[in-house]
Amino acid sequence: MGFKEKCFKKSLWVFHLSAGSCNNCDIEILDLLTPKYDVERFGMKLVGSIRHADVLLVTGIVTKKTLPRVLEVYNQAPKPIVVIAIGACPCTGGIFASGYNFAGPLDKVIPVDAYVPGCPPKPEAMLAGVVKLLNKK
Amino acid sequence: MGKKTVVPIGPYHPLLEEPEFFKLYCDGETVVDMEWETGYNHRGIEKICESKTFEQVFYVVERICGICSTSHPFAYANAVESIAKVEIPVRAKLIRSIVGELERIHSHLLWVGLAGHFLGYNTVFMWAWKYREPVLDMFEIITGNRNSYAMFTIGGVRRDISAEQATQLLKVLDDVKIKTDLLVGAVMDDPVLHARLKGVGILTAKDIHDFGAVGPTARASGVDIDVRRDDPYAAYDMIKWKVITTPEGDVFAKAKVRLLEMYESISIIQQCLELLKKEKVGDIKAKVKEIPAGIGIGHAEAPRGEVFHFVKSDGSNSPVRHKIRAPSYTCIPTFRRSCIGGTISDAAIATAAVDPCYCCTERMTQVYDHRTGKRLMNAEELIKLSQQKTEEIRKKIKV
Amino acid sequence: MQYKFKVEGKYMNIEEYITNIQKKFPEIIKAEVVNTKRLFVFIPKDILLKITDYWFNELGYRYVIVTAMDSKEGFEVIYHYSDDATGWMMNLNVLLPHENPEVESVTPVVYGIEWIEREIMDLLGIKVLNHPKPKRFLLAESWPEGEYPLRRKNRQENR
Repeated sequence: MGFKEKCFKKSLWVFHLSAGSCNNCDIEILDLLTPKYDVERFGMKLVGSIRHADVLLVTGIVTKKTLPRVLEVYNQAPKPIVVIAIGACPCTGGIFASGYNFAGPLDKVIPVDAYVPGCPPKPEAMLAGVVKLLNKK
Repeated sequence: MGKKTVVPIGPYHPLLEEPEFFKLYCDGETVVDMEWETGYNHRGIEKICESKTFEQVFYVVERICGICSTSHPFAYANAVESIAKVEIPVRAKLIRSIVGELERIHSHLLWVGLAGHFLGYNTVFMWAWKYREPVLDMFEIITGNRNSYAMFTIGGVRRDISAEQATQLLKVLDDVKIKTDLLVGAVMDDPVLHARLKGVGILTAKDIHDFGAVGPTARASGVDIDVRRDDPYAAYDMIKWKVITTPEGDVFAKAKVRLLEMYESISIIQQCLELLKKEKVGDIKAKVKEIPAGIGIGHAEAPRGEVFHFVKSDGSNSPVRHKIRAPSYTCIPTFRRSCIGGTISDAAIATAAVDPCYCCTERMTQVYDHRTGKRLMNAEELIKLSQQKTEEIRKKIKV
Repeated sequence: MQYKFKVEGKYMNIEEYITNIQKKFPEIIKAEVVNTKRLFVFIPKDILLKITDYWFNELGYRYVIVTAMDSKEGFEVIYHYSDDATGWMMNLNVLLPHENPEVESVTPVVYGIEWIEREIMDLLGIKVLNHPKPKRFLLAESWPEGEYPLRRKNRQENR
């Protein structure tokens, strides 16, 4: 295990980026912070700037207007960064894939490390996704 | 006028994580003008709906917004059923109203939490979201999912509520009622909140009329409108309830309206469950053969206000035009009146007060444009500023 | 059921209401009730501001939204207003030609209508004249000029 991987074992700081979502996944992410799930006990917390983050959570389809912004956020991120696609929309485009403003699934735009499908995925599923990813590292 | 300073808020929202972009033009501490930039969340839903069948459109409109995922199908069902001239069974009407009101409870709790967060009352945030969980669990029991319920279909609903579920629901409601009392007590009697919210972000009845604002935003300014009463749909004309209004128009009034509405919602659900006992189990769907050509307009009262759906059908199995108007579309422009003249530290809560929902508005979210050169303050700093002000007031009145 | 509309201090039912409005604005092409509680008034575009002012300011109807669509006959622009005292939806229907569609902006009367007019310009390419801020609203900066997502390719089939 290298130094970088070791840093990822504990206290992940998460940055949440909604690229064109319906709010469902976003609310469920916020739900993780509240008393029922309380991920802060693992040292995970939402941060206000991508420059402080270890993990980038992306929700929603990437629309044509957000596409340059998503790229910019990714470029500003300190590397290594873990990108997790939350929900069916960033994974495949889901129900909105046929829309005229759809710029492609997230993995066509930036490299993605994990996918958590579901509409919306349950908070438990999101946690399970992160745990699986960390075990693999 | 002196030199103007531009303060961009966002693209991160001071309220939530949805992207939108405000430009506040400030003269010293005072906000003098405001501009809005949008389109980040535009998903082109109106066009997608034209390629789906009438039945499938329910699952698309449900995903306009994760929080109002009953209200949009509600309005759409009203529109389509008015074209097909279907009368839905009473049991289905009751179940629709129950799901709709449960949604209102969870949405208002969500808002109370977020408003608390803005003011630096993180305890309120944690409490409100904790009390919201049993409601979401109830949704999971009744509909099978915590959000995006897929309950509605043309002519009725897809799942019945059994007697056991009804008993369980009543128990959860009693619990929510106790917790609401607690929240109401925490908000209404707190001198700091009074000092912080009263007289902030005032909207007059004329402002409401100019912008066409709806829902709690309008009702807090003394405009007595509620689609559930004015143009009754589902079971709302079968039960007794009242529309909450208050004339002040400030942020405190909006909080008051939302908190008191939760009691009304609880009482509506209780009455619906009582009536549900008399209806035959399983009679939840009317047969609909086809949707004839025609125009249907349906509206429904979402937690944030009136949702409007316009459907045009040409007799085939999919709509030819589907227009959607979410309540935030007419409520968000009111920021231009509520923020102007106030201080920057009040801007966060004044914008949060209408419970803006960007995914609804644009039917499309997120920006990161912090390096445009003009940046002075980001959303986080703005919230911090807002929280600092609360702290100062708290010290001043020594609570 | 009888619906009582309060017009200039008098109460009228829907038939009287329609007669009254047709007398007031003789340019009205036709007025019809569709489904329950929905009134559609078809007007030529030059009386749009006058009738909007009458509904919005004198009768105090609430502005709801504007629907625009591309149909066989031309671009239909429907202005929706709501009479909250009776729960009726009042709709103004303006038909514009396919070539060079133009309509006057209603912003001077209804302040809040600004956004939807910008949206219509974006999505359907209908020109709104004298709009205070005719900037791009919803579509991305990279969206090609002159392409409108809600215009139809095959107007005969409405698709």
